[in-house]
Amino acid sequence: MRFSFKNNSFILFGFVMVFLPTLSFAHTINYALQDAPVTDVAGYYLKLGFSHIIPTGLDHILFVIGLCIISNDVKSILWQATAFTVAHSISLALSMKSIIIAPGEVVEPIISLSILFIAIENLLLSTVKPWRILLVFLFGLIHGLGFASSLNEIGLPPNQFALSIISFNLGVELGQIAIILSMFLLIIKPFGKLVNYRKMVVFPISIVIGIIAIVWTLQRLSY
Amino acid sequence: MKTKIYIISILVFCIAVIGIVINYQQNKSKKEQAVYQLLPRKGVAAKSAEWKQVQEKASNLLAAIKTNPTDTKSSLLLAALYIQEARETGNYMYYDKAAMKYVNNVLKISPKDFNALVFKSLIYMSQHHFQDGLNAAYEAQTVNPYNAYVYGLLVDGHVEMGHYDSAVIYSDKMVSIRPDLTSYSRISYLREIYGNYEGAIDAMKMAVEAGGKGDEHTEWTRVQLAHLYEKTGDFKTSEGLYSMSLALRPDYPYALAGMARVAKASKDYKKAIELLEKADALTMDNSMKEDLVELYKLTGSDKAAKTVKLLVQSLSNDANQANDDELVGHYADRELAYAYLQDNDNDNALKHALLEYNRRPLNIDANETLAWVYYQKGDYNKATQHIKSALKTNSKNPVLLSRAGLIFYKGGNKEMAKSMITKANLTSTYLDPSLRLQTENAMQNL
Repeated sequence: MRFSFKNNSFILFGFVMVFLPTLSFAHTINYALQDAPVTDVAGYYLKLGFSHIIPTGLDHILFVIGLCIISNDVKSILWQATAFTVAHSISLALSMKSIIIAPGEVVEPIISLSILFIAIENLLLSTVKPWRILLVFLFGLIHGLGFASSLNEIGLPPNQFALSIISFNLGVELGQIAIILSMFLLIIKPFGKLVNYRKMVVFPISIVIGIIAIVWTLQRLSY
Repeated sequence: MKTKIYIISILVFCIAVIGIVINYQQNKSKKEQAVYQLLPRKGVAAKSAEWKQVQEKASNLLAAIKTNPTDTKSSLLLAALYIQEARETGNYMYYDKAAMKYVNNVLKISPKDFNALVFKSLIYMSQHHFQDGLNAAYEAQTVNPYNAYVYGLLVDGHVEMGHYDSAVIYSDKMVSIRPDLTSYSRISYLREIYGNYEGAIDAMKMAVEAGGKGDEHTEWTRVQLAHLYEKTGDFKTSEGLYSMSLALRPDYPYALAGMARVAKASKDYKKAIELLEKADALTMDNSMKEDLVELYKLTGSDKAAKTVKLLVQSLSNDANQANDDELVGHYADRELAYAYLQDNDNDNALKHALLEYNRRPLNIDANETLAWVYYQKGDYNKATQHIKSALKTNSKNPVLLSRAGLIFYKGGNKEMAKSMITKANLTSTYLDPSLRLQTENAMQNL
């Protein structure tokens, strides 16, 4: 445990050192929805959040799949999903409030690396260790910054910041829940109790995810 | 063993993250240190004696800056040279970035340098970063409140942000300090926005007379004057002005494009295409391609689809650079919205029209674009809402009036539809034939 604490602190320190120097204080305003009814705003951002996962957020989809398959224990899946959700909600809100702005050239490759890391971890660990929750939380912070750069392109209505952020997050959550449910119904429930579950399911899926993540990392570094 | 691999994985991950950050910082530094050379010109402009002088001047300035990077005078002269070269070649993407680099170098040394702030504002405006341009202009104004050019930038910024009343105030201030080509042309533009074509033409004539014949700025202004005549349906006068401009500045792309519009109005599409293709080959301005697409469609040419794709690609590259480049990048969302409409991709057109609108919700052009996209998508309520905003200055632009007429027609406001289309039809030869046909059909049902 002492070892994991050290490494997690290092990652947290790295995160702070990378992103805090890029403080800025402006985000895009969505004037088109400024005077729109609350239901329209909520619906718009909910849909937007969902579409950032399904179908356009393939990297987030792979990350969530990576989180799901490590074990057939539903509780561990929920813990990881919660950590990821809380983290990306925090960094998304901070970024949209322009308290933290991170350049896409840094965030995007790190998102790919986080997917790769989760894939490798799936190959090495058979159960969810406590530090994995913390790692997922840290990766969630990075993914939140990725969501923010996309959301910033659309902007937020000036008078409905909280509503739009919450709706967007809710949309993202619904997208994630859809992935988790699909994974549970299609993979974990039918195959989770198999003796060779790791060999038959976790290893091949993680290897594929890992290869895709490597390709993405290299692509994103060459932008 | 697994624990060791796990530890190594964490270390590799951390090293990779640090590597990504270092790589980002290095790329940023490389961009800052990049040397921007002049790019070759095309056509007649490449053979002129002036081009040789420009090349020599740029070479000397680059050498001076290399010898002494803190030479702010040379940096500003080089920035000015690049700004002018952008106008000459239409390659704003490259030269604006180049100019911004040297302007930023000066501002690092001297943050209140008046000329650097003026250039910064000008480059931002050129790249459609209007609010940033306005902010830089206000900063320059605090340094020197007696310079007419700063007020010109404030006019431009306020017009683009849709603050038309402020623009009028600053244009009055500008012309009171220095009545010249730049101030008269801005007055003309404001009059046009407020629907006063007669006054706009008078002011633009004064602007042309205040400039030196053959000079790029003067010929640009002459082309604007000719374009005003076009919008009032007087193609004969506009043709004369375009011919004069071409005689004074051979192969001037914007005059060639004007001649193409005249040919198009007289339904000589073959000539119009020839002229526009020539203009397009001489400059990198995407507006030439936009006009070409319309002409290709009119003649049923299979080049239409290919040119639309090229246009979307070119504008998207500009837009991506605007997102990625911290120095400067061209916001091209309004142009992209129209290009996507040409490509029958209404969803992407709406996306970009909204991006443009969100940047400047009070601007009449941004509202017109959004209204037109909503019209194409069949959302007539939203289209009506935005076209009303686009009409707030009583502009008499025939395209705007035609679109407004069609939107009101579909929205069920027949009275307004009839009024708009009637006004637009006064200059119907200016309209694109497909738009004219739509308004004529609507009028028959009113």
